[in-house]
Amino acid sequence: MSQLIWDGLFVGSFYALIALGYSMVYGIIKLLNFAHGDIYMLGAFVGFAALTSLGGIPASLSIGALLVVMLVSMLLTGTAGVLIERLAYRPLRGAPRLAVLITAVGVSFSLEYGVSAIAGPNPRAFPIRLEGNVFSLLGARISLPQIILMLIAAVLMILLNFYVQKTSTGRAMRSIALDRNASLLMGINVNSVITRTFFIGSALAGAAGVMAGAYYGKIDFLMGFIIGLKAFTAAVIGGIGNIKGAMLGGLVLGFVEAFGAEWFGGQWRDVFAFAVLILFLTLRPTGILGERVTERV
Amino acid sequence: MKLGKRSTLLMGVATAVLLTTAGCSGGLLGGGGNSTADSGPIKLAMVIPISGSSAPTGAYMRNGAQMAVDEINKDGGVLGGRQLELDVEDEACDAQQSVAGANKAVSNGAVVSVGGYCSGATLPEIPIFQKADIPMIIPAANSQDLVKQNANNVFMINGTGKQQSTAALTFIKKQGFATVALVDDNTSYSKDINTETRSQIEADGTVKAVLSTSVTAGESDYSAVVRDIMGANPSLVYWTGYYQEGGLIINQLKNAGFAGKIMVADGSVDPSLAQIAGAGAEGVYATMTQTPETLKGAEDWIANYKKAFKSDPGPYSTQSYDAVRLAAKAIDDAKSTDGKAIIKALEAIDGFQMFSGPLKFTPERTLSSGGFVILAIKGGKFVLEDDLS
Repeated sequence: MSQLIWDGLFVGSFYALIALGYSMVYGIIKLLNFAHGDIYMLGAFVGFAALTSLGGIPASLSIGALLVVMLVSMLLTGTAGVLIERLAYRPLRGAPRLAVLITAVGVSFSLEYGVSAIAGPNPRAFPIRLEGNVFSLLGARISLPQIILMLIAAVLMILLNFYVQKTSTGRAMRSIALDRNASLLMGINVNSVITRTFFIGSALAGAAGVMAGAYYGKIDFLMGFIIGLKAFTAAVIGGIGNIKGAMLGGLVLGFVEAFGAEWFGGQWRDVFAFAVLILFLTLRPTGILGERVTERV
Repeated sequence: MKLGKRSTLLMGVATAVLLTTAGCSGGLLGGGGNSTADSGPIKLAMVIPISGSSAPTGAYMRNGAQMAVDEINKDGGVLGGRQLELDVEDEACDAQQSVAGANKAVSNGAVVSVGGYCSGATLPEIPIFQKADIPMIIPAANSQDLVKQNANNVFMINGTGKQQSTAALTFIKKQGFATVALVDDNTSYSKDINTETRSQIEADGTVKAVLSTSVTAGESDYSAVVRDIMGANPSLVYWTGYYQEGGLIINQLKNAGFAGKIMVADGSVDPSLAQIAGAGAEGVYATMTQTPETLKGAEDWIANYKKAFKSDPGPYSTQSYDAVRLAAKAIDDAKSTDGKAIIKALEAIDGFQMFSGPLKFTPERTLSSGGFVILAIKGGKFVLEDDLS
């Protein structure tokens, strides 16, 4: 039981980090950015490239090196997110929702096969691997790397929450989510705020990519696809557009998967997880924390 | 390997339409493509993964086949002087792409097909080549589903899933493992070995299959299956999927403190498995047909391969090499490029020397003995552990 909760929490914190980007972008420009999972993949590959160019790293420094590489990767994936928004989404700002959605799928493919063309289609083993002693706590097997990664995820999410709630840019983001035109009239530079949103969302996904590479040890150019879908599910469960909802949704999805696998057997885990998504879309499309938004004309 | 992940999700209807039309054109073009001229190069179709996650194996196969083509051409070609030409098409381990690739090869005028790695992608190629009377010599794909098609043009020169399961069970009994957990990745090839091994274990009765489950390919976190395995506590885990997920599962099992042994099927025999699995890979067993490294007397062949392609041969290099040689032999025996005559010649072959031993097809057009051996990872490399003889 405690093992299930722990595994759910750990996987859920990855889902939450990626779901945040989905949710923030949706909240602010009502776009389902399907390329978001691939930003996570891009982050892992940037981390891979940075670590490979650094050469051999002694095991004692691996946490430090990981943090540095994670920051580099966050900067680069954030920039990539900004570029994607500028090149692919902004020209379609006024276009029908479907056109933008399909563009997002196109961006996703471009990223996947672009990385495949540059880095090769073979999976890569990550240069550093976080390994630590496993100890038992209340019957659950817990390892030090898991705790470190969850702490990093928690710190990133707390920082984000602070940024959105307490700074003027955060306030601008929230006001654009409420009403873009009114925000424009109030003198908010909408484009620059949207750019920042993409930067932050993509940077978080990039961080998750580096963390996944260092923990699981393998990266490949399609690694973002399934986790992107899962993060989307998490965002919907929590209430898409809602930042706290994305965090909560990630953890809930982690639990749903862990318990679903326990109750129905491992091969039914994804069936159960996506059935929960359908259930939420039917019964409570606004998610756990989402509020019903009246359509403005 | 992956039966259309994204495509099925996003473009299901569109692909269905495409598939239907592609199937039709295969038949139409097949009629024209087969009446090849009596001179000029003879084309061999090779539909293998060039992109996607199985691309490395595709490269090993292409090189092996190319090596045979070059050797045969140097020795004067087939049918008294006609050159062979390899027509490589990408299947990306995806059913839709393989159908497109097979159709393209048929319209290019291919005479024999010597490709086929992912069983799920090879399966839909069968009707296309069959309509065009093109014999398929399949070097790697080995799901029992391919045998079940009972198509008269399909010849498998890799051991089948059934033979692999028998080899696995023989080794399990020999080592005295009492309980076994079977894990697959829900693809045709992998599920086939899982169910086949389970039914053989149940029929045999001396060993117990305590768990038989599947995972989703392409993920990173396999904690669910790790929990299931730790709960069932088997003395051996048999992973029947491919190496990417295999490496992750081995690593996560070892991190969770799993004390039993792990064995993988031939789809996981790749140098990357040990890299991905890390330290936990040491001592992992594998059921596999002979690779160049484990074959005795293949040193010259390996040296030639290295000279030609500046890299080491890998899984299925030898089988692809043999597939081309077999195709050339059958064309010579048939004294024509007519598909029906070549199929007859293939059925009649007896004692043709291949890496896996002298060849004679069973009535099911499979190898009479699978030639599976047990490998083990020592120092990060697969080495021969037990030849099961």
